[in-house]
Amino acid sequence: MKRFSIGDLAVLALGASLVGASYAAFWGDRTEGTQAAVFVGREQVAALDLSVPSAHEILGRIGLSQLRVEGGRVRFIDSPCPGRICVHSGWLARTGEVAACLPNGVVVEVLGGERVFDAVNR
Amino acid sequence: MQSIADTTGSAAAAGQRDALVAGFAALAIAIHILEAAFPSPLPGVKPGLANVVTVVVFLRWGWRMAAAVAVLRVLVGSLLVGSFLSPTFLMSAAGGVAALAALGLVALLPGRPVGALGASVLAALAHMGTQLMVAYVLFIPHSALFGLVPPLLTASLIFGTVSGMIAATVVDILATEADSS
Repeated sequence: MKRFSIGDLAVLALGASLVGASYAAFWGDRTEGTQAAVFVGREQVAALDLSVPSAHEILGRIGLSQLRVEGGRVRFIDSPCPGRICVHSGWLARTGEVAACLPNGVVVEVLGGERVFDAVNR
Repeated sequence: MQSIADTTGSAAAAGQRDALVAGFAALAIAIHILEAAFPSPLPGVKPGLANVVTVVVFLRWGWRMAAAVAVLRVLVGSLLVGSFLSPTFLMSAAGGVAALAALGLVALLPGRPVGALGASVLAALAHMGTQLMVAYVLFIPHSALFGLVPPLLTASLIFGTVSGMIAATVVDILATEADSS
């Protein structure tokens, strides 16, 4: 008796494509953001237009964080924190993406477009 | 397929069938409870090894016996774990019914093209998909739930494949034993 039939493999392929389609349907539609909000602590200190290239210095709790906007994206260039986790976060372009320099209290969040969640969030 | 469920003419066959259903349900419940005792890496994700029993019974003795085993497992399993008529039970029951419906579809296909692996994968996906729908309609009507769909479906595809392979092996062994006896 043959253990797996063509029908089995067809079902497996069908199931795999269904799972793939679910990723496309539920995770794929994050849209490009149009703006970035910059927070120090809980207060928003700046709103950046991502369509215009620019550079910014944000005064946080322990010093100056440098941000750059370019090609519809925003990123930390430098920050006075030990780990530079914010800098390593790299470019942010999609709605809802966030980079934060916690020691300096500076948070950048991409806004605009349609917001999509990637996990239970309420 | 030779099915004991078809030979309901004699009382002896019926008794034998009931004993088989009870035995397999007990086995499935034991697996179910063992699984419930293990912590899960992801909430809502369990390997669902008890479904191996359902698939094996389905392939060897037909859909009706598989349905009897699955219904008994969900009812008695929930009584033992203490989730009877709770939200967990509703999810479990809905998933079980959907899995049985998937197996029924497999049985209806002409020429039986789908074996243990395909049946198990279909049942697992139907189980998870229905549970997500029930969760959305009854408990969390929030679009954030959709974000959970891809990873949970991935998990059910993987676990469905694994338990399908186990079920295929068991069906094979049962077939050779039946031939040699």
